[in-house]
Amino acid sequence: MSTDGHSGGREDDQVLVAEYALGLLEGGERAALARRIASEPVLASDLRLWRSRLATLDGEFAEVTAPSGVLARIEGRLFGAAAPAAGGWWNSLALWRGLTAAAAAVAVVAIGVNLLQPRVDPNALATQLVAAIQAQEGSGVEFVALYDQASGQVRITSLKGTAVPDKDFELWYIKGEQPAVSMGVIPVDERLEIPLDATAKANIEPGTVLAVTLEQKGGSPTGVAQGPIVAVGTVTPI
Amino acid sequence: MSPEIADLIARCALRDRTAFRDLYTRTSAKLFGVTLRILKDRSEAEEALQEVYVKIWQRADRYVAGGYSPISWLVAVARNHSLDVLRARKPVSDDIDLVLDLADGAPDPEQATIDSSERTRIDGCLDELESDKADCVRGAYLDGFSYEELATRHSVPLNTMRTWLRRSLLKLRECLQA
Repeated sequence: MSTDGHSGGREDDQVLVAEYALGLLEGGERAALARRIASEPVLASDLRLWRSRLATLDGEFAEVTAPSGVLARIEGRLFGAAAPAAGGWWNSLALWRGLTAAAAAVAVVAIGVNLLQPRVDPNALATQLVAAIQAQEGSGVEFVALYDQASGQVRITSLKGTAVPDKDFELWYIKGEQPAVSMGVIPVDERLEIPLDATAKANIEPGTVLAVTLEQKGGSPTGVAQGPIVAVGTVTPI
Repeated sequence: MSPEIADLIARCALRDRTAFRDLYTRTSAKLFGVTLRILKDRSEAEEALQEVYVKIWQRADRYVAGGYSPISWLVAVARNHSLDVLRARKPVSDDIDLVLDLADGAPDPEQATIDSSERTRIDGCLDELESDKADCVRGAYLDGFSYEELATRHSVPLNTMRTWLRRSLLKLRECLQA
């Protein structure tokens, strides 16, 4: 059965991809396959499979205590000498925790905005904003959302959590003292691209709050959040 | 332990520096083990470790829980970086520009998905290979050995080594799909 439907070419491809995953291909051969993987979903899928299979060998890497001083050098590079105290925005979540009565879930939302200037690391994908969200509701949910200024879309990725029967999660942005504005219902087990209208684009900036509430199926019918806040965070430049 | 590491990675995506420090404390021995085993030089491994954690900080938002196990994602970042360092060590004669452009063109390891039953099966499938063939697969994955190095270590011509290993990978694939 394992050979059914496999032409020699397909088999060759799978072995090539395995060699690539192992790091055995070099030079032009490696480059050529990288290009094919980028354009051929079947090969990309093969690569994912091989990488996940091979990852089971990770346990064979023995732990070796890293030399002291490495962490300090990394932090120096990433955050500079005048790194502000960690957790400024994170602490502000306490405010939001106070707002939500229910207990127990953790949710995280990050939002990246490409138009912002780099603040921390000029080399990196530094042109981003993030918002952290930690909140309370029965099931743990985490999201990361990235805002692509070029496409005008927020890509929201579910990191963790399960759907609640007969309910939907709804994403909102809150600018200053203004009422929350819905960005739509979001799934908990997949990525979703949310196109933003001009108003949303203008309002999502550092300081804007993103919140996720648990609403009835299809989202709040009134345009006003009705369910409990399960996740909330402030948009922050990276 | 894993859920917590996943949380720490998620917090790194949110630029939580305390979480980054915790993540380093929890995982640096493992990742130093990776860079040291592949690079086999303490100072190079230490330098690589720095680069690896810089990448982790910068790419934490690309980790999607439920796909790769968090520690496997971290190991993949460390392993791939170490292999890049290895490749950079030797002079590349042909189309070096292409290599530099496309080395990272493939899908990222963090997109990989893991089937837990598969993960337990690979060891059994490796056991089905002749031991020297399984050693080659392990040597490539764990030590970053190239075909040249594997051929030298096993005292066979380069082409023979490649034929061996490719056959072994086919067998491995068939065993994993069985």
